[in-house]
Amino acid sequence: MQLSYFRRVAAGGAVAALAFAGVGAFTATPAYAATSKVSVVHGIPDTPVDVYVNGKKTLDNFKPGDVAGPLNLEEGDYDIALTKPGEPVGSAILKVDNAAVPGGANISIAAHLDAAGQPKITPFVNDVSKVDAGKARLIVRHTAAAPEVDVRAGGTPVFKNLTNPNEAKGDVDAGKVKADVVLAGTDTVAIGPADLNLKEGTATIVYAIGSAEGKTLDVVAQTITGLHSAPGGVPSGDGGQAGTGVNTWWYVLTGAGVLLLLGGGVRMATARTGRK
Amino acid sequence: MTVRNRGALAALAAGVAALTVATLVACGSQPAEDVGADEAANLATATPAPSAGATDGPAVPVTAGELPAGAEIVPPVRLAIPAIDVTATINAVGINKRTNEFEVPPSVDKIGWYRYGPGLEAEAGSVVVAGHVDSAQQGKGAFFRLRELDQGDTLTATGSDGKVRKYRVVAREEYDKTKIPLDRYFARDGKPRLTLITCGGPFDAKARKYRDNIVVTAVPA
Repeated sequence: MQLSYFRRVAAGGAVAALAFAGVGAFTATPAYAATSKVSVVHGIPDTPVDVYVNGKKTLDNFKPGDVAGPLNLEEGDYDIALTKPGEPVGSAILKVDNAAVPGGANISIAAHLDAAGQPKITPFVNDVSKVDAGKARLIVRHTAAAPEVDVRAGGTPVFKNLTNPNEAKGDVDAGKVKADVVLAGTDTVAIGPADLNLKEGTATIVYAIGSAEGKTLDVVAQTITGLHSAPGGVPSGDGGQAGTGVNTWWYVLTGAGVLLLLGGGVRMATARTGRK
Repeated sequence: MTVRNRGALAALAAGVAALTVATLVACGSQPAEDVGADEAANLATATPAPSAGATDGPAVPVTAGELPAGAEIVPPVRLAIPAIDVTATINAVGINKRTNEFEVPPSVDKIGWYRYGPGLEAEAGSVVVAGHVDSAQQGKGAFFRLRELDQGDTLTATGSDGKVRKYRVVAREEYDKTKIPLDRYFARDGKPRLTLITCGGPFDAKARKYRDNIVVTAVPA
């Protein structure tokens, strides 16, 4: 009894140590290196995985529909491998070697199905430029085993002819919008409708995942905050009653004063010279 | 003393008088000096966001990739500043699409809360309210005397939840509108604070515009 308890604790410790080592590899970053923020999105139905980066387990039992990160990754090439939970990295079900992570970027790595239903890994660079005040960014990524689609907001197509593994994006008024995904050029709803709450100053990234054939189409969402801009100004008065500082007449008065002083002084001086 | 001399003396005296008046007026028109500018700037120093834990925590944060739900925001609905006799209704406002500027409520006795920024519940960032100093048609506005506020003055903001929250003024600053660091006042990080904005400074009667913004910063008391 006691022994098995110990064994379990020991096993748990080993997993924790592995996970920690994985994170350590990510975070032991020299201050001068250009790091990128990297998130991982799981869009393969019914397939929980362990995620290995450069041979080290980074995510344990990562479930479909989950988003991990962001991690701070140093610029460079990375080997990414996915295994069934608990299996060694040698028996990866999906891997990408030498995936290039540029410096100073914000990246999402999606594990998903391609159009034909085969698992694959696609990196996306996230647009984290500022949005105007009052706006939100909507990014839609087609990462499902499904044909070409249109994305509609309030029944109107906003992004057309989106194919796997591509994205469409736009800055829109912040607020709620009812969105759905239809087969391109049709009214055949593939996903949704769903209420999207697009918060001002954020980017909402929606991944279409799963398989049309397997009837597992769904969405995964990722939100990036902090993209807001301040308003252009705060105009809050046109009456003038609270005006401080001086008016035109002040300059006239000052000018006149200076002229009078100068004029008077000159006359005094010439008068004195004249008397001599 | 010759006539000419007397004239010169009179001119000198008039000149001195004119300059004296001008100096007095200029001194009297100076805005009150800024107070607490450093304190206001320090409040804006970013606090680490919760997600930054990824860098030092033992585990990579994992979240369910659900569609973002509307967060619970508590809009301020009422503002009371006893020191300058203000009690005013607060409306939630956004951006004027044409000008890209803060949409201060047209009615000068009302104050606008920037609904895209934090609400009263926020544990970080700047809750921004702005009101008119005055208007050509409606006269004095709710924030006509905002520039009289000083460090230590207290005010209360009532939320839509009915809860009254107390704040203490820590800074009053005046900025030329072309130089005001708006990013800092509309920040969503840094210490929780309430920022009150109106117009002030010299008035351009032709453009019907004030040159400056008055900014008062208050912290939870």
